[in-house]
Amino acid sequence: MIEALFNQPSYLGAKRMLDALAVRHEALAANVANAETPHYKRIDLAPSFRAELQSALASRDAASLSTLQPRVSVDASALPLNRDGNTVNLEHELVELGQNTLQHTVETQMVSAALAKLRLAITGKAA
Amino acid sequence: MLNIIPSLASTTAALDAESTRLEVISQNIANANTTRGPDGRPYQRQEVVFENALQQAKAANGAAPGLVAPQVASIQKDPRPGRSVYQPGHPDADANGMVQFPNVDIYEEMADMIVASRTYEANLAVLKNGRSMALQDLSIGKH
Repeated sequence: MIEALFNQPSYLGAKRMLDALAVRHEALAANVANAETPHYKRIDLAPSFRAELQSALASRDAASLSTLQPRVSVDASALPLNRDGNTVNLEHELVELGQNTLQHTVETQMVSAALAKLRLAITGKAA
Repeated sequence: MLNIIPSLASTTAALDAESTRLEVISQNIANANTTRGPDGRPYQRQEVVFENALQQAKAANGAAPGLVAPQVASIQKDPRPGRSVYQPGHPDADANGMVQFPNVDIYEEMADMIVASRTYEANLAVLKNGRSMALQDLSIGKH
């Protein structure tokens, strides 16, 4: 019974997004940390994972949403800026990091709002 | 250990590595005019070499790449020759009155210093973002 409350696609989707955002933050942090490491190749969420997440969110399929695992891979599209073979662009990483953090704020508020709605339904009180 | 803030390990490793680099740069600048070290020779410029704690070799084989932390591999001496200046009165002058000065170029060191301190700042920004994400996580369900 109670599981149904937490298996709504929007709630599951927000949870998966939070997982993905946390993993992406770690990937971007590793990129910034290795901005000066020779031959380092920047990593990011795997394109295949992004595609799966988007299709699962679009189809609102609870089963596929709950089994998704975020993955990272080497960003093959990034090109080295100088001769040491490092593909990290510091400005680019920080912009992405800021967006990632902002998106994280949005998703935590979505989760909080979903829980507040549940509480409203249970108690009849908004607070 | 409870890991609340994501990415703490790689960021702290980077802060560590960058501050070592800043220390070496400041040592180079401080000794830009040291004509006699413990070995009796002019100071030689030193340089920090970075490497990954874990190489991304796994990624090349198709497995998921690990999150790698940078570290200082070694601090190497720069083999370039120093400049010689004609100063016959100098105690370290040779028979022709030439004094060997260190191979430190202040402009090069200043440029390196700016890169190192900007990278340090960038890592602090990452840490700040991670902290705010962790605080938001903790506030889920509160009003």
